[in-house]
Amino acid sequence: MEYIDGIIIIVGLYVILATSFNLIIGYGGLVSIAHPVFFALGAYTSAILARNFGLPVPLAMVAGMVVALVASVALVLPTLRVSGDYLLIASIGFQLGVLEIIKNVRFTGGAGGYTNIPPFLIRDFGREAYVALVLAVMVAVILLVRLVARSDYGRAMSAMRDDELAFASLGRNAMWMKLAIFGLGSGLAGLAGALYAHYFRFITPEQFEILQSSAILTMVVVGGMRTTWGPIVGALLLEALPQAITFLNLPPSILGPIQGLLFTGLVLVFMFFRPQGLVPAENVWRGGGGETR
Amino acid sequence: MLNATILLQILWTSLATSSYYVLFAVAFALVLKVTRIFNFAQAAIMTVAFYSAFVTVQWLEWPAWAAFVVMMAITLAASFALERIGFEALRKRGVSVMFVFVFTFMVSEFVAYLAMLAFGTWPQTIFPTIFWPVTLVGNIAISAWDLPAIGATIVMLALLFSFMRFTRMGQFMVGVADNPDLAELYGVNKRQIFLVTVLMAGALVAVGMFLYGTRAQVLPQTGLSLMLFAIAATIIGGIGNLAGAAIAAVILGVIQNSSILVIPSEWQGLLLYVFLFLAIVFFPNGLRMPRRRRRFATATRDIGDNQDVSAAEGQV
Amino acid sequence: MSPRIWNVKGLTKAAAVVALLMASGAAASAQQAYRFGLAMPLTGSQALYGQDQVKAAQWAVDEINKAGGVNGKKLEMIVLDTQADPQIGIQAVNRLISVEKVPAFITAWSGVVKAVAPIANDNKVVELSVGANSPDIAALGDYVYTTFPLADIDIRAVANYAATKMGKKKAAIVFINADTGTAAAEVYKKVFTAAGGQVVAYEAYDPKATDFTGQLLKVRAANPDMIHLQGLVSDTPQVIAQMRQLGLTQPVSSYSAAYNPKLVQQLGAAAEGVIATSLAPGAADSEKVKDYVARWVKEVGREPNGLPYTEYLYDAPYMIADIFKALDNKKLPPTGENFRKEMLAQGAFKLPLTGNTKLGADHTVVKPVYLMEVKGGKWTKKAVVGE
Repeated sequence: MEYIDGIIIIVGLYVILATSFNLIIGYGGLVSIAHPVFFALGAYTSAILARNFGLPVPLAMVAGMVVALVASVALVLPTLRVSGDYLLIASIGFQLGVLEIIKNVRFTGGAGGYTNIPPFLIRDFGREAYVALVLAVMVAVILLVRLVARSDYGRAMSAMRDDELAFASLGRNAMWMKLAIFGLGSGLAGLAGALYAHYFRFITPEQFEILQSSAILTMVVVGGMRTTWGPIVGALLLEALPQAITFLNLPPSILGPIQGLLFTGLVLVFMFFRPQGLVPAENVWRGGGGETR
Repeated sequence: MLNATILLQILWTSLATSSYYVLFAVAFALVLKVTRIFNFAQAAIMTVAFYSAFVTVQWLEWPAWAAFVVMMAITLAASFALERIGFEALRKRGVSVMFVFVFTFMVSEFVAYLAMLAFGTWPQTIFPTIFWPVTLVGNIAISAWDLPAIGATIVMLALLFSFMRFTRMGQFMVGVADNPDLAELYGVNKRQIFLVTVLMAGALVAVGMFLYGTRAQVLPQTGLSLMLFAIAATIIGGIGNLAGAAIAAVILGVIQNSSILVIPSEWQGLLLYVFLFLAIVFFPNGLRMPRRRRRFATATRDIGDNQDVSAAEGQV
Repeated sequence: MSPRIWNVKGLTKAAAVVALLMASGAAASAQQAYRFGLAMPLTGSQALYGQDQVKAAQWAVDEINKAGGVNGKKLEMIVLDTQADPQIGIQAVNRLISVEKVPAFITAWSGVVKAVAPIANDNKVVELSVGANSPDIAALGDYVYTTFPLADIDIRAVANYAATKMGKKKAAIVFINADTGTAAAEVYKKVFTAAGGQVVAYEAYDPKATDFTGQLLKVRAANPDMIHLQGLVSDTPQVIAQMRQLGLTQPVSSYSAAYNPKLVQQLGAAAEGVIATSLAPGAADSEKVKDYVARWVKEVGREPNGLPYTEYLYDAPYMIADIFKALDNKKLPPTGENFRKEMLAQGAFKLPLTGNTKLGADHTVVKPVYLMEVKGGKWTKKAVVGE
């Protein structure tokens, strides 16, 4: 039924977002909060190309992914040559700034949102086909990230993350690696955005705000960074559980801020007592030495 | 549109309203300088400060000075807790920058939700009214809020700078900022210095929020929005440079307000992000002190490099 | 490394099973009553309004059932939380349609209204927007209707009133750079100029701004004789305060966001003369509304947040009950299609608090606009437009 389909698709998309973010922040060690903005760029690009320019939806989706990727490189390139801390600040500025632009520009529908996004697959093959598509992409993304993490590339990322100075002295180029990871992760977020846009057919800038950053961050941290199952568990927990809880018919004055408290509290509790997350990897939060004074 | 009266008015009002921005920026910059932590939890302290003043004035109906005292006490207590329970635990575990970031970010969100639960989401102000009487000087409207705000800020900054320059503890802070382990070898109590730093930042934040909350409405999530300005000013002013952060805050405020005269009003909000981005890309060491040093692109090195130079030059 | 996730996986599975059991249970007991949905922000930043609106609707449903329900059958309202968020709204409406199988539902907040429109249309379930005022709601589809007047109605009224009744020739428009602000500012501009006036300043401000000196100085330089402000509850008081402080003494008009008692408290004397619109009668205009407000004060201890909106939400179940009654009389099954047909066939409804409501062919309603003014520290009725 439509209700369950909607939930499965949302959970699937968030698994993609959490997994790709895990690639960036977990495996790549790149501290950034600018994930929702690439989700947004993918969604808007695909929606606008399909609705205003009549591009066939699959092509529009790919374009969305490419735009997200290119934008992420534009963000990371200038900041990386400075230092990792700056990436965080720059990502905050980028996340907020791009959303401001989207809110102010007419052709994105502005703050009111973009409506009438062309549907895909549903008219011809039914809702289930779209669900299958999202699940297929989700599995592909999980496998892809897992592949990257376990490959030689992954080992190099690990080395870079643990001690960048030594890494550089061995002649490996950290910058290209960081660019590649960030680009790949953000591109995948863009793809998730495009998939979202053509199912729900209405997007507004407020759905991609910094609150989403904290939600995705929670999924990765609570689920378990740098593991394959961690982000999946985190996404399931944060998306499916609230829906299940609503069936328990608790009075609304208890939900709400309590829900927000619950999830942020959860992260804080996990960080202190089980920093590896629900699905543990080894030594996730350790600094390489000298990071915190 | 470039009329002397308009420019002077904008200049004056921007100067007055930059008062709280300066306090928030210097607080953030201070903690960053001494503890090397990007304290996103400052938004939580800001929220605590505001709502304690709000409750004292509007629920308990105590006079303004009492509210100020209560607010200061509660804010300092919260800062104490943040340092001793939060940051110290993180230091003991030797965690990474990312952990600290997630932690501080989540603390601010957590406190925002607590505030939402306790106070609802209707916008609030400290006093029931936000209207301040106005006197006209020449053609410039000066509100009864402006001078006390500027005065309070100058006093706080003066206290801070004289503390750091003339007291022993202030000197220790500069030393710890530069090289904590070396300072420890000289007998400086690192723990104590970190605590003092966070407490002082808390005091600055408390005054700032008192000023802000008597002029504008506050929501539980306002703290996080105000932080962006503080961060931008800190970066543009130069990490490790408190005076730079203060000056940057004033300049940014003035530019943001006067921009309305040259660009369409819709784009005003975007300016801040543009500045932030440009600052990071072209002036990572801040606009104040261009330095030509070769560096490796690693997390702590740059800050360290910067510190050596600024400490050597006796800058605060 | 094997992930130790069975505790979490198990938990999620258990939750899903519980959820499905409850859903099937709910569906089974639904046959004996006439049901409709209500999707409102029960939590989140808009809950302050949403919860009051839900309470008003609940009172109406209880009253209707006390008076015999729909031809003796119970009227049941299923309430779900949207948090005023489009995504969550979609889940809520999906659930109302697929699981609870309602033929019609009420919702509000423009983002949610727009987001769930495709679902209502695809499933042929009537969506009643009660409270959102974005003008594009009128064109969201065959099954989307609003019983609350859209933005153009009250802005048009206040613009016309300023130009014709108040004799203002030069207006300045100050608005928040967000959906509500930009749409309404355009309407004001169009109407004011059509009525023979001139818009001398048109300034937007950032939603996050707290200092409006620049924009207000530009307004001052343009020398208007009327200023219209289109902001939100969180910034309107500051803008007006700064206006007065910068020496702008012109009359200020705004819309329903300004119409709340707190504004007077926050601005003190500076609130005198501020004009706001209300789309529902006040306690002084109708006995029924007076009793309604008295009930709020007695049972809840305060006046409702957003009084006019709660009035519309009190009335909506009455309209729905009327339609169900007609369907019951005609022995037609309460499907979305039948609901819509009957609603359009009746067209006009007599509602307790907001009076006569007639659904236009453009899916909207036209209602009288009450212009309220702050006089002597209190909101008083200045005029009624379009009765």
